Amino acid sequence: MGKLLKKSAANDFFRSLQKKGSLYAPVSTDMVRFQHIKTPEALRSIDFDGHAFFPPKKYLLPNEEELFTIKQGKLQDTNQSLPPQFVVNVRLCDLNAIAILDKLYLDPDYPDPYYKAKRDATTFIGINCKREIDEYCFCGSMDLQRAYDLLLDDRGEHYYIDVRSDKGMALVKELPDAPEQQDPTLPKTSKVLDQKDLHQFFADKWWEGDNELCVSCQRCTALCPTCFCFDVKDDMDLNLQDGKRLRTIDSCHSADFTTVAGDHTFRSSRLQRYRHRVMHKLQYYKDTFERSMCTGCGRCIRYCHSKIDFVKTINEDFK
Amino acid sequence: MSNYFEHTPVEILAKTWESPDTVTFRVNWQPKHDPGQFIEISIPGVGESPISFCSWNPTYCEFNVRVVGNVTKAISKLEPGDTMHVRGPYGKGYPMDYFKNNHLLFIGGGCGVAPLKGIIEYVQHHRKHFKDVDLYFGYRSRDDILFKHLLEHWEKEFFLHVTIDKDAGDFHYSCPVGFVTQAVQEADIPPDNKIVFLCGPPVMMEKTMPLLLDKGFHEDQIWVSAERHMKCCTGKCGHCMINGKYVCKDGPVFRYDEIKGVTE
Repeated sequence: MGKLLKKSAANDFFRSLQKKGSLYAPVSTDMVRFQHIKTPEALRSIDFDGHAFFPPKKYLLPNEEELFTIKQGKLQDTNQSLPPQFVVNVRLCDLNAIAILDKLYLDPDYPDPYYKAKRDATTFIGINCKREIDEYCFCGSMDLQRAYDLLLDDRGEHYYIDVRSDKGMALVKELPDAPEQQDPTLPKTSKVLDQKDLHQFFADKWWEGDNELCVSCQRCTALCPTCFCFDVKDDMDLNLQDGKRLRTIDSCHSADFTTVAGDHTFRSSRLQRYRHRVMHKLQYYKDTFERSMCTGCGRCIRYCHSKIDFVKTINEDFK
Repeated sequence: MSNYFEHTPVEILAKTWESPDTVTFRVNWQPKHDPGQFIEISIPGVGESPISFCSWNPTYCEFNVRVVGNVTKAISKLEPGDTMHVRGPYGKGYPMDYFKNNHLLFIGGGCGVAPLKGIIEYVQHHRKHFKDVDLYFGYRSRDDILFKHLLEHWEKEFFLHVTIDKDAGDFHYSCPVGFVTQAVQEADIPPDNKIVFLCGPPVMMEKTMPLLLDKGFHEDQIWVSAERHMKCCTGKCGHCMINGKYVCKDGPVFRYDEIKGVTE
């Protein structure tokens, strides 16, 4: 099902979302980043071309989140009702990342109530890439799905809006129907990752070359749209009676990530930690869910201090 | 939707110091659980710690806690009558039905004996389903021996072998000095119809495994329990993942052939 949105009327559409809830969109400042678009005037600053530095996962998994309030040494529930929020101009790689997080956090055995409350309140509206953003994108090889409510596709004077859910349809029902359904063409990239079974390369020496460059700065895990690991800790006031139990983002690159009581660390070397992250992204998740956890957004390569390019290593050296 | 981070307050019925740094709590809680599963004990303001069941009893639960960090230290300060906050049970326990009509061999080291005690109590409650039971437990010194008050009962009912690494401590119990691995190596243990439960420090498990395989045990006769610091217990926080397996969800109990060759 498709709808048409005149490019000149795009801001009116975003204005209608602004009236329904909070609007977040990429804005190009020193870098492209998702920001709260509070006023009608700010709509003009919305960016349609760039790739956000930080992925939009922060709207579902904030860096720090309160699980409970601690009052007089007792845990108390925190209020979880949230107003609707709309995150617009999200790239397909990041939309697929949200679908991957959904699989983990809305697992029917143990659905995560904090994530679900945010997920239910949030609508992600995508924008299709006309071409690859830069030479680091490799989403074309990562089997991206049409996992979104709405996706804007540039068709000259119009945006063709691809509608994939009732939640999405409710937002665009007043827009004119597109004369015929034309599924947006998913982006192609010149950089591709060869799909290989990485289990057989687990003990290879090729990991060491990249690992020598890695400084465990954790930038890749912070910028990855699907990195979801967290820590739980209690943050107390000075009276040690009141405070909060927090969930904070964590990184498998951190040296104490696998430390257990008695100071034993299971992944004590940087090589083990680097390999674990790449294996988790490209292989372990695939073993269970039949698709890679990586969506090819390229952030971990684009912004790596040491210019580590695991795609190149896997393509060229793993044989 | 229920919140898996939420705790159940339970009353502490009894507290026993097993060794200078290890304490057992008996709590008034009757969750349905299998031996080998674990829970999170929470002290608001300090944090949470994953602890395994060390009992199998329809009327109460016991948890054995070694004081090694902030949370376990705070737990150890609780007294009978106090409230303990728990959530769980989590993970896959030992599939006890699957072991029926077999001989059982328990090999435990240090506080790795605690989860094994849960299986032993299960076996005591279902004694006719299981054949001979051998217990091989190793501790650092005489004072570190856990569940001292049960040694007498276990000696009567099972074949009990206790070793201590060094001959020190005040507790009087006659047992050979040496590693538990030596005791296993020297013992004549036929592998037929036998299930092995192995739990202890990583180095002990690594040393014991080749000994068992040498004695003719198959990999699918050996069950191990893995240790990790789980933060969520539901396969989300990522802390307990080894080679794509979540210790909290897929374990903590594994059949050896399932995790053989798993490296970090």
